[in-house]
Amino acid sequence: MPDRHVLITGATRGIGEALAAHCLEAGDLVVGCGRSAPAISHDRYTHFEVDVTDAKAVDGVFRELKRRFKRLDVLINNAGIGGMNAIALTPVDAARRIVETNFLAAFNFTREALRMMRGSPAGRIVNISTVAVPMRLEGEAVYAASKSAIETFTRIAAREVAPFGVTCNAVGPCPIKTRLTAAVPADKIQALIDRQAVRRWGAAQDVVNVVEFFLRPESAMVTGQVIYLGGAG
Amino acid sequence: MTPITSETGHVGAITEAAVQDVILEAMRLANLARDNGAQLEISAAAPIFGPDSALDSLGLVALLLDIEDGLRAIGYEVVLSDERAMSQKRSPFRNVPALVAYITSVARG
Repeated sequence: MPDRHVLITGATRGIGEALAAHCLEAGDLVVGCGRSAPAISHDRYTHFEVDVTDAKAVDGVFRELKRRFKRLDVLINNAGIGGMNAIALTPVDAARRIVETNFLAAFNFTREALRMMRGSPAGRIVNISTVAVPMRLEGEAVYAASKSAIETFTRIAAREVAPFGVTCNAVGPCPIKTRLTAAVPADKIQALIDRQAVRRWGAAQDVVNVVEFFLRPESAMVTGQVIYLGGAG
Repeated sequence: MTPITSETGHVGAITEAAVQDVILEAMRLANLARDNGAQLEISAAAPIFGPDSALDSLGLVALLLDIEDGLRAIGYEVVLSDERAMSQKRSPFRNVPALVAYITSVARG
């Protein structure tokens, strides 16, 4: 049974909730962060109600983590927001929110987590990208650009964290029925699915499967990779 | 850019001597994993990062994280991050005196 110390951002719903449930099932100690109250109640689950873009609040989270858990083995930068809009119609503040949540928060969590991963026998960082990056979808410019940043960050971080025995990878989900995709028009989603090799919706468990592959001790040589679901890319 | 710092569980200002001890101990620790030809000089005036030092950027990161651990052990929670880190002339990490001064100012807020 694993007894990893796992930190998941955006753990209150959707993919993050599924990842937290999976890790708890596997025997891990799980810490979740999210803007709302926890969806999970478990004796090995700790929740921080926090906005991941609030650097001061995140600093407080890590101070508490160091005090209570000393070591961190896994960081899953899952928190993300979308926003389908034409570039010409996107307010700069909306774009800033997307970049701050999807990229800068992941950077800050990674920076802080690395300091706690040095005591880990097999540190793992997993980021969440999207098939919107390779598919270059109209209306997803800011969202996809923020995730492109995550992909480049993942590949460079892989090189920087390797000396510490830590891997850094990303998974790019195809459309999955979450709150994020609920806001996208059905015909747009269908057009996207029609361009996939596997032409159907994905499930949160498909993401969990790839993440668990990255987390396995046997995956120590797998780093700097982005795996897309559904055959995109 | 202002470094992100915080101080916890310690009463009173940190001394430069204590900071220097932590830095030199971290450098000794780093030397244990380094080849004979790439040893870091251990002295109060030693270079840390730049043309006069064998330390590369990844080595600098590991050293600074060890220094953070050492500071935490004596009660100071400090995150060493600075946009000048890789600058040859202005880096607060260029030598022991510069790093002592930098950490002391950060820890004192």
